[in-house]
Amino acid sequence: MNNAALLPIAPEVILLAGALVVILLLAIFDRPYREGGIVAFTALFAALIASVFQWMALDDGADSLYFSAQDVSVVRLPMVVMDRYAVFAGFEIFVIAIVGLAVAWRLVQSLGERRAEFLALVLLGVAGLHMMAASANTVMMFIGLETASLSFYVLAGFTRERADADEAAVKYFLLGSLASAIFIYGASLLFAGTASTSFYGAGGIREFLTENVVTEPAILLFGMGLLIVGLSFKVSAAPFHQWAPDVYQGAPAGVVGLLAAGVKIAGFAALGRVLISALPSLIDEWAPLLAIIAGVSMVIGTVMAAVQNDVKRILAYSGIAHAGYIMMAFVAGREGVAAMWFYLVTYALTLLGAFAVASVVSGSRSGRSPLTDWSGLSSRAPGLAWAMLIILLGMGGIPFTKGFVAKIGVFTAASDAGYQWLMFLALFTTVVGLYVYFRVAAVMFMGDAEDDEPLTIPIATAVVIGLVAISTILLGLDPWPLLEIAGEALPL
Amino acid sequence: MVLTWLVLLPAIGAMVIALIPKSRRELIFPLSLAMTIPPLALALWIAVSFAVGDPFFQFTVDYTFSETLGIGWRLGIDGISLWMVVLTAVLFPLAIAASQSITDQTKQYMVAMLILEAALLGVFVALDMLLFFAFFEIVLVPMYLLIGLWGSENRRYASMKFVLFTAFGSIFLLGGIVVLAVLVGDAIGAATSFDFRLAMETGLSSTTQLWLFAAFGIAFAVKVPIVPLHTWLADAHTEAPTAGSVILAGVLLKMGGYGLLRFNMTLFPEATVDLATGLAVLGTIGIVYGAVVAIVQPDVKRLVAYSSISHMGFVILGLFALTSQGLSGGVFVMLSHGLVTGALFLLVGMLYDRRHTRLIDDYGGIASVMPIYAGFFLYMAFASIGLPGLSGFVGEFLVLVGSYLTVPVLAVIGASGVVLAAIYLLWAYERIFTGPVSNPANQVLADLGLREIAIIVPLIVLVLAIGVYPRPVLDRIQPSVDRILERIEATTSYEVPEYGATPGGGGS
Repeated sequence: MNNAALLPIAPEVILLAGALVVILLLAIFDRPYREGGIVAFTALFAALIASVFQWMALDDGADSLYFSAQDVSVVRLPMVVMDRYAVFAGFEIFVIAIVGLAVAWRLVQSLGERRAEFLALVLLGVAGLHMMAASANTVMMFIGLETASLSFYVLAGFTRERADADEAAVKYFLLGSLASAIFIYGASLLFAGTASTSFYGAGGIREFLTENVVTEPAILLFGMGLLIVGLSFKVSAAPFHQWAPDVYQGAPAGVVGLLAAGVKIAGFAALGRVLISALPSLIDEWAPLLAIIAGVSMVIGTVMAAVQNDVKRILAYSGIAHAGYIMMAFVAGREGVAAMWFYLVTYALTLLGAFAVASVVSGSRSGRSPLTDWSGLSSRAPGLAWAMLIILLGMGGIPFTKGFVAKIGVFTAASDAGYQWLMFLALFTTVVGLYVYFRVAAVMFMGDAEDDEPLTIPIATAVVIGLVAISTILLGLDPWPLLEIAGEALPL
Repeated sequence: MVLTWLVLLPAIGAMVIALIPKSRRELIFPLSLAMTIPPLALALWIAVSFAVGDPFFQFTVDYTFSETLGIGWRLGIDGISLWMVVLTAVLFPLAIAASQSITDQTKQYMVAMLILEAALLGVFVALDMLLFFAFFEIVLVPMYLLIGLWGSENRRYASMKFVLFTAFGSIFLLGGIVVLAVLVGDAIGAATSFDFRLAMETGLSSTTQLWLFAAFGIAFAVKVPIVPLHTWLADAHTEAPTAGSVILAGVLLKMGGYGLLRFNMTLFPEATVDLATGLAVLGTIGIVYGAVVAIVQPDVKRLVAYSSISHMGFVILGLFALTSQGLSGGVFVMLSHGLVTGALFLLVGMLYDRRHTRLIDDYGGIASVMPIYAGFFLYMAFASIGLPGLSGFVGEFLVLVGSYLTVPVLAVIGASGVVLAAIYLLWAYERIFTGPVSNPANQVLADLGLREIAIIVPLIVLVLAIGVYPRPVLDRIQPSVDRILERIEATTSYEVPEYGATPGGGGS
């Protein structure tokens, strides 16, 4: 095997090696969290750098498809794909992981003997996430999905002494496993319909569907539907969202941002891969389905968010709505990918920032973050309150924030594809969304603080919150470079 | 470039204020005031060097951000937006000067005010529809904070109501803009284009025009406000701090009238002609309704707020009379109303600072303790009523003349608005200022100080100047509104009725 063949899976290799080293350190040292942290951050940065190398290799015309066997006599199934789509997903996932781990650091410090496991699980989960985006094959995608999910089930329940964290983890595990089962069933039906698990190449699903006329597409369509449902579970799109509020609320505040943002990126990347790369010829079948899921998500997400009294639940439900907005971009097919990426990048960062603020306000180990905790935040920690305001404005899609650019992107994509009704529905829910975000702002700025104790903000968390707030404005004023890169990151 | 600076200067000012350290907080007030002077100077320079008689956009800036999406930093100014820009630039220094009673979180307050100024100036000079929407919508945020953080008792309710009402309007605007941008993009072979001037050249079917007119119109109707979409206005104006009310009434409402002229009447001529009578009727209803409701208000700030609904009714009546006089008059009323109502809110705020009540019944006989104040108030009341020689007269006279040509019945009903204005303002004046001092708490009220006089005097001068000699204003407005009417005549069968010579030349 030469170096070029290692490059497409370099991030995964680095992350798995990192996870192993962390566990080995556990055997050598007594409490190796500091060393483990260095290893974990090094591995994540190395994975990010590997992604940059991948992008540069693509500039030099490197191959995108990597096969299971080099022997031409066997059927060659593409397993891993290194296109700009996968690499761009890598950028996002690794940046989110680095930032998310920085936010989680105070939680990690409080974990006592279990610090190393936490770090190893984060690295394994992140490797799984990237694999979902870079798979060229439903089986590979499933492996990535499970690697990520299994790690994250454990992370969600890491503060075992709290009953609601246990409940969150169990719920996440049960519903997540169901989603995985649905996904793999869909993949098997797709295999039954097309005789392939691979998206690309000779005999791949795309080629089969473009070269053959499927006379009885029932099995195929059912499989496609199940794949969409399975991934909709993962990105918490309605009506497959029920797990999200409880899990977000129960999981420790320090890590839930990483879980939520990471899974959303990988889930949407995988959805795009399946629909746009493998099933482009069925767009007339899946686009209306996605439009409906998107519409239902936006409505349920915003309406439910408007009646919550816990900020983490508000973020969970608004996340369901945002999943709907992101899904809007898919109805435009390949044309919508740039809008999808921009929304996903900006939203993932924003979500992480919002959970970081929640971890400061309510404590990084705690689950609940009731609105009463936030009351009068502007007098206890003015900088934090103003940063949160900017983050909320970004989520609401106020102009001159990145959220506005993102919303315009998905709205024009849907409108261009002829889904005006979906755009107007989205516009309506955007206004209700403004109520949701301004309500939190009103509590922060116009409520009375229960205790006047100033909050202590860990340095790393403060840096992250500051960067997210600044990026919210900067990407709102000058989104063009990121839009350009996102426009290049098309799936093969 | 000059328009870019016009928008950027207040924004830069906001950044400068934000960077003032806590130890030097005494700098916040004077520096904020100073930051509003460069935009004022620029606006006046633009007004002076504006080429009179040129109906097209001047001082244009054209920088494309994205070729494929057709988004750009496109600015320009014509005779309509010119006066909105001047109005904004004039009112902000006065509003900030009147904000000395703000002692809590002064820095954030001033930053919000300066961002608001940048956004409002942006609204009036943007020629890119997405940029326009961005400015139009961002106004929400500083205004929400101004009402919500520095407002009076009911501020939480009022600020949320303000946000939801206006955001509800803007969703239709954004939807309309996106749909229109896709259509324009189809016409020029790009994905989308948000260039206003390209949109003007794109022919639209009459059904499309009707839908888009409705989408744009709802957003602007909420802002104007056109009855029945006015219910947010009284709460927001009443609960906002003085400067907030001044900007709300003086400038924010003008975004609606301006938008109707700039977008609805320019881009959708067929729909404009079809819907003109209906909208003129709504305008007339607004004139009478606002005035009647104003009569019975016990709260003087609410009274001025409802009088705004009445005056903005004149704007709508004038615009949708579809005559040269009506359109010029409508724009002139917007300018005049901004100055006069701004002054009235400033005056009410000065009284509120002294007594912390807005109820008319708590006053009585104030003229004997605050004679200068009473004089100023009476002067502005007369200007608002439309006394010849003051600015209110010119605009409302032109509106009535213009609407008499096409909708004579509405003109006659609308004229009653002037009479009703005399009733609510003079009756309020009588109850607050005349007679003996009934409430002992009012005995000790101090008359206006030098700072307060200095805030009001510029408005007094301007109201008189454009009331006596409106020609320079009308000369700049008219070519631009005539261009809108010419476009309507060119694309529809509607013919603008001629009525003697061009209007203007004085209000006497």
